[in-house]
Amino acid sequence: MAGNPLLSDRDVDFVLHDLLDVGSLCRLPHFRDHSRETFELYLRSARRLAREVLYPSYRAVDEAPARLQGGAVTVHPALREIYPQLVALGTIAAPRPAEVGGQQLPHVVAAAADLYLMAGNLSATSFLGLTAGAGHLLESFGTEELRRTYMARMYSGEWSGTMALTEPQAGSSLGDVRTRARPTPAGHHLLDGAKIFISGGDQDLTGNIVHLVLARIEGAPPGVKGISLFCVPKLRPEAGRLVPNDVKVSGLIHKIGWRGFPSVVLSLGEEGDCRGWLVGQAHQGLAHMFQMMNEARIMVGCHGVATAAVAYQESLEYARTRPQGRPLASRDATRPQVPIVAHADVRRMLLRQKAIVEGGVALVLTVAHQADLAGHAEAPEARARAQRLLDLLTPVAKSFPAEWGFESNALAVQIHGGYGYSSEYLPEAWLRDQKLNSIHEGTTGIQGLDLLGRRAVADQGAGLRTLLEEIGSAAAQARQAGVDPAWPAAVERAGAALAETTMALAKKGLSGDAEGMLLHSTDYLRAACILVVSWLWLKQAAVAQAGLARDAASRPFHEGKLCAAQYFICTELPDLERLLRLCRDGEDSYGRMREEWF
Amino acid sequence: MPLKILVTVKRVEDPESKIKVKPDGTGIVTDGVNYKMNPFDEIGVEEALRLKEKHGGEVVVASIGGDKSITEIRSALAMGADRGVLLKHEGALDPLLVSALFQKLTEQEKPDLVLLGKQSIDDDQNQTGQILAERLAWAQATFASKKESLESEAEQKKQPGLVLSADGKKMQVVREVDGGVETLEVSLPAVVTVDLRLNKPRFASLPGIMKAKKKEVKEIATASLGVELQPKVVVKKLFEPPKRAGGAKVADVPELWKKLHEEAKVV
Repeated sequence: MAGNPLLSDRDVDFVLHDLLDVGSLCRLPHFRDHSRETFELYLRSARRLAREVLYPSYRAVDEAPARLQGGAVTVHPALREIYPQLVALGTIAAPRPAEVGGQQLPHVVAAAADLYLMAGNLSATSFLGLTAGAGHLLESFGTEELRRTYMARMYSGEWSGTMALTEPQAGSSLGDVRTRARPTPAGHHLLDGAKIFISGGDQDLTGNIVHLVLARIEGAPPGVKGISLFCVPKLRPEAGRLVPNDVKVSGLIHKIGWRGFPSVVLSLGEEGDCRGWLVGQAHQGLAHMFQMMNEARIMVGCHGVATAAVAYQESLEYARTRPQGRPLASRDATRPQVPIVAHADVRRMLLRQKAIVEGGVALVLTVAHQADLAGHAEAPEARARAQRLLDLLTPVAKSFPAEWGFESNALAVQIHGGYGYSSEYLPEAWLRDQKLNSIHEGTTGIQGLDLLGRRAVADQGAGLRTLLEEIGSAAAQARQAGVDPAWPAAVERAGAALAETTMALAKKGLSGDAEGMLLHSTDYLRAACILVVSWLWLKQAAVAQAGLARDAASRPFHEGKLCAAQYFICTELPDLERLLRLCRDGEDSYGRMREEWF
Repeated sequence: MPLKILVTVKRVEDPESKIKVKPDGTGIVTDGVNYKMNPFDEIGVEEALRLKEKHGGEVVVASIGGDKSITEIRSALAMGADRGVLLKHEGALDPLLVSALFQKLTEQEKPDLVLLGKQSIDDDQNQTGQILAERLAWAQATFASKKESLESEAEQKKQPGLVLSADGKKMQVVREVDGGVETLEVSLPAVVTVDLRLNKPRFASLPGIMKAKKKEVKEIATASLGVELQPKVVVKKLFEPPKRAGGAKVADVPELWKKLHEEAKVV
């Protein structure tokens, strides 16, 4: 292998075909123009673009972040060469319907390709990911005029898109958004306010930037029920040309990671001429935006997996080639040193990375697959079932890769030893990139509140019941394949324990004790992450065990899968019990703690 | 002056996969091995597309192999080629046979130019293009390259490296030779084999992949072409090169001589 492979092709193919059987999606009418061949050709192009074009520029882009000069952001020159190639690949509108210029590619295949591109150069791909999300918002809620003027140019990559939600005083708390929108007789609104942390909020890659902005129409009710969504271009079309729309860049954030992807402070309407066009219904902005946020959360999960994956591949190669020390059993100093992978503790770290990375690949692709089924399965019940799982698993798909991925990235630094702590080597850069994933698109804390406070208890726990059914069938499949029976038993027990704890906490909430119910929501989220990934490892173990009996040549691959499954189920899953006990017992150290006692 | 160009594409093992020889030496372990279009052929496809973009015409891609070789044809169609031909064949072939089959196809298709990779990266024989030209009695130019670098403006603008004369009857080919490049002119129709530094091939885009599904791929059974399909070169056995033994220090010249004489048997 010439360079870092970013992800294991064998593993991605295993998840797509052996675990999820994505080829069967082509039987659904929506995907009938596709086949395994179109999937393979697209993945091939993405893999090569990622390895040959994106990855080689990663370090340079990280070392020289975007600059703000004279009110305009200049991105790294390498990005100007990469961007048109990413656009040409067709990632932006890949999963969108043909009538809006998309290719109706299943999300699961699009996500697999995205993993490579993200692992190659996260910053470079992020411009397109946000554009896709913003374009989709216009597709769903925009008027015909907005779709024609903006969406089409965004899907073609000519213009880019952003989501402009956050304000200095309103980050996680979007109900406190203050940007104002004043209606005009001409039909548009005049906006006035400040937005912060706007990723891709300015750049010199595209001819225009279309901001999807949350703002409050004059006289709107307070809180989340008074927020509307607006399309606010950097340049607005007027009499056949583009003129400035009074959107100014007032600052550039100096970030520790994703350094090629500029994050800016935007000032809207300083001169009273910032025009915005209402998207969807007035006061429904947050509800509309949630469509994009759910997609964005899954995308962040992919970022996390990709960032952990590329670092895992780097540390794996390093461990195989770095000679250091001798086996514990024979310390003969005249013998040559062994590569560090020969040491059990290094294999512990590598196997933990493998369990997190490949568990994460299975997780994000499973969720993307559920999105395909929720949208396009033939039977309404199948669509509803997939939607229930998708809703339940979204916070997990966002948080597991971010949280466990960070640990995995730290292990990549650890395996590199002193070199890993040096900026001469790349693992520290990926560690910095990874940290954002537990912060943006709803922090881990927000995801915990969302999971326990809304999704797990919605519809009397219907999502959780569906998950338990899935766990039951994976357990049966594992037993039948001859997997160690202790593993399915442990995962089933964990599923029952999570369900029981959920009921107890829901009861607490219903009795009026919302604080008590949600005190340990982050621990609850962690327990749910462990359960879901254990389920996916059990499924992978069942397929690997069956493969072991059938296919001698793939033995090393399947043995590796079984070791990783064993690692996760035997060393990670037991933590679920401890986390659930904290939730149930309401351990109250930080509940009681007061600000002045710190 | 529109050009009709025939480009050959071969399905080969991806060199980034771990290639292992089967214990019995009859072939390689195919499990876990990815396949791709021969990279030299990909450069041929790219050059053909650039020539077509400049001069107009048609790009036909052809492969010899089993059903799976259609994927490589589709890959070229997804890059932008117009149609494909699969000469359907299972089993071993050698360059003599491959060139004989392409000769038949060339006679059917009557292109102005046949582009081939200078060699395929699986067994690196570097013979098919040359033998094909000889069989057709056409001009040939091998190892086509260009003077400009792959970072040059000409490359950024995706200009073809092969230069068609104004009357459309000749083609100028810059070819790599030991110690530099030389420029040849061939009369059309001609066979040109391409080298690595001719261009940077484009990636197949998703819209291109979807369009390729609707393009024609004709299948022709090799048995129907009137070529005696008995290879003259047969692979008897595959084996890994012997592992290099470590070096050793010797105490003095007599010991060195002894080792060279008795172990290495070179003196």
